[in-house]
Amino acid sequence: MVILIWLGAFSILPAQQRFPKPEFRTDYTQPAPTTPESRATAMEFLDVAVLLAVMSLTAWFAIRKRSRKGILVLTIVSIIYFGFYKKGCICPIGSIQNVVLALANPGYSLPLYVLLLFLLPLVFSLLFGRVFCGAACPLGAIQDLLIFKPITIAPWLRKTLGIFPYIYLGLAVLFAATGTEFIICRYDPFIGIYRTHGPYLMILLGIAFLLTGLFVARPYCRFLCPYGALLNITSRFSWKHLSVYPTHCIECKLCTTACPFEAIDFPDSVRERPETRKSARRFILFFILIPVLMAAGGWIGSRSHVYLSRAHHTVALAELLISHPELRNDTDNLDIQTFLASGKSLETLAAEAQVIRDKFRTGGWILGAFLGLVIGFMTLNQLIYRRKEDYQANKGACYSCARCLDYCPVE
Amino acid sequence: MRQVLRLLSGRMKTTEDKIKLVSNLITVSGIFCIAVSLLLLINFIHVKSSKPLESKALVALVEQFRGDSQNEDLKNDIRNLDLLARKAFFTGNWQIRTGSFLLLFGGILFAGLLRIYHDMKAKIGAPLITGGTTQITRLLSQRWILIAGGLLLGSAMVASFLTTDYLKMYRETGRVAQVTQAPEVRTVEVETGDQETKRPGDQETRDQETRDQETKGPGEQRQEAGGVVSKDSIFTPPVARLQSSSARHPSFRGHWAQGISEAVNLPVDWDGPSGRNIKWKVALEKPGYNSPVIWNNRLFIAGADAQSRIIFCYDRNTGSLLWRHEASGIPGSPAVPPRVSSDTGLAAPSVATDGKRVFAIFATGDLVATDIDGNRLWAKNLGVPNNHYGHSSSLLVWQDRLIVQFDTNSSGRLMALNVNTGEPVWDHPRKTTVSWASPMLAELDGRLQIITVTSPTVYGNDFENGSELWSLECLAGEVGASAAVFDGLVYAANEYARLVAIRPGPAPEIVWESDEYLPEAASPVAGSGLLFIATSYGMFVCYDAKTGEKYWEEEYGQGFYGSPMIAEGKVYLMDRGGTMHIFSLNRTKSNLGNPVLGEKSVVTPAFADGAIYLKGEKSLFCVAQN
Repeated sequence: MVILIWLGAFSILPAQQRFPKPEFRTDYTQPAPTTPESRATAMEFLDVAVLLAVMSLTAWFAIRKRSRKGILVLTIVSIIYFGFYKKGCICPIGSIQNVVLALANPGYSLPLYVLLLFLLPLVFSLLFGRVFCGAACPLGAIQDLLIFKPITIAPWLRKTLGIFPYIYLGLAVLFAATGTEFIICRYDPFIGIYRTHGPYLMILLGIAFLLTGLFVARPYCRFLCPYGALLNITSRFSWKHLSVYPTHCIECKLCTTACPFEAIDFPDSVRERPETRKSARRFILFFILIPVLMAAGGWIGSRSHVYLSRAHHTVALAELLISHPELRNDTDNLDIQTFLASGKSLETLAAEAQVIRDKFRTGGWILGAFLGLVIGFMTLNQLIYRRKEDYQANKGACYSCARCLDYCPVE
Repeated sequence: MRQVLRLLSGRMKTTEDKIKLVSNLITVSGIFCIAVSLLLLINFIHVKSSKPLESKALVALVEQFRGDSQNEDLKNDIRNLDLLARKAFFTGNWQIRTGSFLLLFGGILFAGLLRIYHDMKAKIGAPLITGGTTQITRLLSQRWILIAGGLLLGSAMVASFLTTDYLKMYRETGRVAQVTQAPEVRTVEVETGDQETKRPGDQETRDQETRDQETKGPGEQRQEAGGVVSKDSIFTPPVARLQSSSARHPSFRGHWAQGISEAVNLPVDWDGPSGRNIKWKVALEKPGYNSPVIWNNRLFIAGADAQSRIIFCYDRNTGSLLWRHEASGIPGSPAVPPRVSSDTGLAAPSVATDGKRVFAIFATGDLVATDIDGNRLWAKNLGVPNNHYGHSSSLLVWQDRLIVQFDTNSSGRLMALNVNTGEPVWDHPRKTTVSWASPMLAELDGRLQIITVTSPTVYGNDFENGSELWSLECLAGEVGASAAVFDGLVYAANEYARLVAIRPGPAPEIVWESDEYLPEAASPVAGSGLLFIATSYGMFVCYDAKTGEKYWEEEYGQGFYGSPMIAEGKVYLMDRGGTMHIFSLNRTKSNLGNPVLGEKSVVTPAFADGAIYLKGEKSLFCVAQN
């Protein structure tokens, strides 16, 4: 029923061309653009409404109805709608950058629907957990469908790899804030598959992720997704969350192998409790270490501003002209030739580049301090023993995919 | 197929049968995906590696067509081959797109079948009795998080130290990097050694350099982070530019006579008859086909007739005559000037100056030196040159030496005279015929060389001692055009002979040559990888300096005697009718303007910031944007 409604919507509400293409007298047909064409604002809000509906339904299926089948159907709908139809853009993951750029650059106007795309999944995660990841995210959905025989990853490796989403998030925020690039969009491995067009290396990377996903469940989501890093934090405070058991846990242990993402926490009865005194001492030590890590990270981050800023084209061009002035004679270098033709002096370009580099110095401080904080807290987190009475979904790591529900015999 | 039919007919009852069917379908779809992937990969590699418009066959046909442009059959062959190549390219692209869709479809089918297979085969696995994170696991995780974090921050730290902050260096020094010179370069001569690294259009770097030019001297060392920067480092200040500033055009074709000026804000539009952008115009007192020469606010020309030979000095900002100096009373000077042709005259060689002294030579063999205020320092007569058109080799001065090319029908000489006394520092005779070309300075193979063009030989002599470093017999006829140089190659050309690009050295060789367009009098000029030739029959041609590939040509009704000059990313070329043709310094032809002087002209312009100095038959002009 739901699918029919969506399919009907596609046919009734065609994408409106805000700027219609010119008509040619000859039979010339314009090639299809590689990036999605801009759509009418109403259609963008429709996308928000669809997202809202999918997340709501996911929450309902996961928490109330406890139906894996329902979430599976929504997953397919998301792949079709958010993936192939909308070609993966604009997505909440990339919207982080839009929001950051709007905060850093008063001249950048953030559309309301982009803000909603950014906020809604976070709000839902505070209410119902990571329901966005469960069925709405097209990147997660395509990986989810291809989980075949998931392997168990050693906890220490899983935790260590868990740093990378925060690194990616930090870099994405830095590059967006300085107006350098939207790296989340540029290095989205699945966008080429959804658009059936893109840089070949990125398409190959996407296929590599999918093939890896046959055995390592949702590799991008678990070890790279920057939005997931935010959802991981917010969903820990969720008001309601998917539960493995409907009423109570009988500790039958049947769900222990249910989750391909190893997101089920074990109860105290089967866990080793650490020595309290030793743990407390370590806790205090590492707690004190956090500001040290932040300071060290901040200092290193600020020192890294030179090479980080080279990602910005103005800085890269200025340094290229300074370090290799003979390239002025290279008529094949379009960037340099365009600059020379612009009439702008190297002094002006260097001054602009320096302003950008100074922004990176400040941003580097923040990035480094953030990463120091993340490392500190992740380390500290290993020392915290949280009492668990039964087998529960880890609120931070659980994607609310509802796979575990069918394993629980309790009715 | 049988299994599918059984399923469809409802005869497949057991789950095992269904699992087997799905398993087989997975295998088929998997093989399909692999096969399509391989085909796509092969096709992709093929499309990426083939460049349809650069196929050898097509290039060969186009080359053939250049020599036989009226051949219709050849034209059709090229068109057909071009069409075939494009069709093949776009067909390849279509195959990739189609293959991608097939792969996508196959991938979806494969994924769907996998899911079905998995669901059918799924059973609840044996539960884990113990699990969750143990103390060891937690400590291990903690350790590895710290290791990973440490590695990350450590790598960032190391990278930050290894990175060179070029912007900071530029901010502090105002310099860009230089192409590293050969080890034999004497740093004192680095002040003259930057021609190869600087190109017209480098105005931005020139602007930065002028900030410090009052304070930095040649060979000065600077302290940089990590140690003293040696004189030969890439950040050695380009002292040549300090001396060759944009208000100095010290000889024929500018600094070192290479045909390149560093002046900026040059006008591209003027009109002599109406006076638009003509800052001033003064009548010439005496005729002379020499080009204007500039040092700071002074402009020098020479004029001569049967009565007298004179050096003139003007204020280049106002056009007012500051002084004149007559080359008279010179021992050995002929009572009657030699017979010369009307298009050469007695004052064809351009004046040279080093800012303290002014030098001039006339067709009488009179060589005179004055101070900057026109007071004679010394004068001598070199002997009336045996030259049927009239002596026209211009003078060149650098450091304390005045370079004189004195190749006549009787003998050939290249000499360096002491600028203060006129006494020879060295005098190098050579076996060559008469030449009307002028000497040029260039740094080649780590040495400052004087390049002279004669018939049949092009010479490279050592500036210090005049010894012949290399020579190559490659020309013929009456040589009027001087040499050009770019990136280690020397260019020489003459009408009815050829254009050659010479790699100098102990065994000089011709790198490429052409006989299509050849100059009679206008000297070639090279810059930004391009070589320009202007012929006396109105052709202006642009070549690739390294390969000789012709990029473009333009034909005019008027021929060229004045030499093209490169300045501010443009090429300026005055035709004999007095029209300046201005082109962008680019391999693509881009005409920026054709302003007219209003008088005929055969001389090469001189440049200073914001102004161009032109000489017509009767007047001297200053062109500047009003």
